[in-house]
Amino acid sequence: MLEVLFIGLSLGSILLLVALGLAITYGAMGVINMAHGEMVMVGAYVTVLSGIWLGTNIFVAIPLAFIVTALLGLLIERVVVRKLYGRLLDTLLATWGIAILIQQAVRLEFGLSFLGIHVQGLGPGLQNVSVPSFLQGTFSILGADINRYRTFIILVTAILALMTWFIIYRTAIGMQVRAIIRNPKMAAACGIDVSRVNALTFAFGSGLAGVAGVMMSGFKTVFPDMGTSMVVDGFLVVVMGGVGSLLGSVLSAGILGEINGLVAAATNDILARAVVFGVVIAIIVLRPKGLFALKGR
Amino acid sequence: MTLTPRRRIDWAIYATFVVLLMILPLVMDAFWLNRAAKYLVYGIVGVAVALSWGYAGILNLGQGLFFGAGAYMLAMSLKLASPTSLQQGSDKPVPDFMLWNAEPGARTELCCITKASFLWLPFQSQWFGVAMGLILPVLLALLLGTIVFRKRISGVFVSIITLALVLLVRLVVIDAQPVTNGFNGLTDLGWFKVAGFEFDPYIVPTYYLVAVSLSLVLIGARLLIDTRAGLILQAVRDDQNRARYLGFDVTAYQTFFFAVSAAITGFAGMLYVIVSEFASPTFMDLSFSITMVVWAAVGGRSSILGACIGAILINTISATVSETEGFAEAWKAIIGLIFVLVVLYLPRGLGGLAHDLVDRVLAWKSRTSPNPTRVGDTSSQLAE
Repeated sequence: MLEVLFIGLSLGSILLLVALGLAITYGAMGVINMAHGEMVMVGAYVTVLSGIWLGTNIFVAIPLAFIVTALLGLLIERVVVRKLYGRLLDTLLATWGIAILIQQAVRLEFGLSFLGIHVQGLGPGLQNVSVPSFLQGTFSILGADINRYRTFIILVTAILALMTWFIIYRTAIGMQVRAIIRNPKMAAACGIDVSRVNALTFAFGSGLAGVAGVMMSGFKTVFPDMGTSMVVDGFLVVVMGGVGSLLGSVLSAGILGEINGLVAAATNDILARAVVFGVVIAIIVLRPKGLFALKGR
Repeated sequence: MTLTPRRRIDWAIYATFVVLLMILPLVMDAFWLNRAAKYLVYGIVGVAVALSWGYAGILNLGQGLFFGAGAYMLAMSLKLASPTSLQQGSDKPVPDFMLWNAEPGARTELCCITKASFLWLPFQSQWFGVAMGLILPVLLALLLGTIVFRKRISGVFVSIITLALVLLVRLVVIDAQPVTNGFNGLTDLGWFKVAGFEFDPYIVPTYYLVAVSLSLVLIGARLLIDTRAGLILQAVRDDQNRARYLGFDVTAYQTFFFAVSAAITGFAGMLYVIVSEFASPTFMDLSFSITMVVWAAVGGRSSILGACIGAILINTISATVSETEGFAEAWKAIIGLIFVLVVLYLPRGLGGLAHDLVDRVLAWKSRTSPNPTRVGDTSSQLAE
């Protein structure tokens, strides 16, 4: 039983890892970033590439992926998303286009494949990342076998969640972000540089996705389409938790993860995912504002 | 009803489009005609998306649910009509995959070969499949619409609910392997028959089946949005609360048009099965549902014909370009780019562009003609 609960916790932490960034971009900025999953994918590829070309392990990849995806996020915000504030559904469509672009960029090795140049670690194929030996295998607590790498993911997720919480609720820029969530026009009237804060927020959310990608690469196969299903799961977590509520996202990720784990143990993985979707639909229908509603824009 | 010049041009464009559809077989061989028929089916889907997104303001990210429902219902009937289903050691048809999933010791008959195989019994009649292909999407839409719109859920939440729903159903279909053949879907289908005539997907009559269907759907949808109900619907889209205060039953209008859109999509799903001879869970993939929205966005979300042409155009170009070696993947990237550009710079799509063009021509005409006519309904506003 403990093992099942642990698997649930681990699934929940993975959900949260992806959802954290979305909770920020969607919650704070009202942007539905369908390219978020691709940020995760880019993070995973940074791990692959740094492993191949720099010979470094995933600990080096974490800050590296954060920087790469944050810059990519900044670029996307400046070029596309900026023009679409207030047009929620249009952000969804435009970022879907961006998602395709990023996927194809990786698949076509940034166009180099047309010139006959092939970069090891890119392209349409599957990539694998090996994790350091001390993160492999299992250890046992109370007779239950606990996977080391999954424990590592839970730890990293907890650290990132705390860090995000600290930034949003305990720093000056976080206060500005929260002001923008409540009322962007009023925030601007109070002298907050909304477009600058929005750009930074988007970059930060994207960076978190990059770190999520590094963690994913340790136990999932890395390939160009890997982000698509993640972004959906991430959104369900954020919407269920309540837009703009970090605590809500944390709790709903935990709940959905445990439901997924328990149902999967009782039946199979496919049904477990179906049940998760069902629960989310029921909650959105019953409480459209999510579990923890926040009054805002 | 007197026709304003604007409306006269509208109908002229529709008529031209229909005529083009009808003469296409004169210039195409059987292989391309079959492909064209597929793209026309996508065109029908485009009409459905424009109706729900452009006119009702409901961005349905689960349109694939209705498409899949229609497709599976007819595919079940056609599967039972296929020659292999008749050769499974029983005098009644039994789908081959059920034999592979048979319960131990079960009789080789539809009633009991697998746990839920009795669900297939009525599908031995093809027309039951056809009826269900329309009824099931409509029922789903009515159910969903009543719940969602009564609770006044709107905008992105509707999109997320529909998206989660289509993925949910997809997983259930995959999981119910003994009844649905899971991931593989239903293949090796028989041909659709009407009064003894078999619609082989590679013959001209099958193309006409699709082309005439598209024309009827197109004109029907265009007439529908010109009715009083259609106008009220657009009022609801533009300002739900104001429409409500004016005394209109907003939920009823939204649900009705949602159901119409579902019926059209289900119908398209059935035609797709006739033309392409398979039904699979990929119809309910997230990317397929979003792709449908892409067609409508490029063609023009608030233009029925625009969305339809957008769907046909994108698919035709994709098919042509994909023939070129190594260009298929690059084409996907271009699609992504086009999509970003359309959302940014052409939010009303090609249809909106054409609309503006017609307006300009009319304005120029009325300036030059001695008897100036007023230009009507210039602002087909964007759906939020």
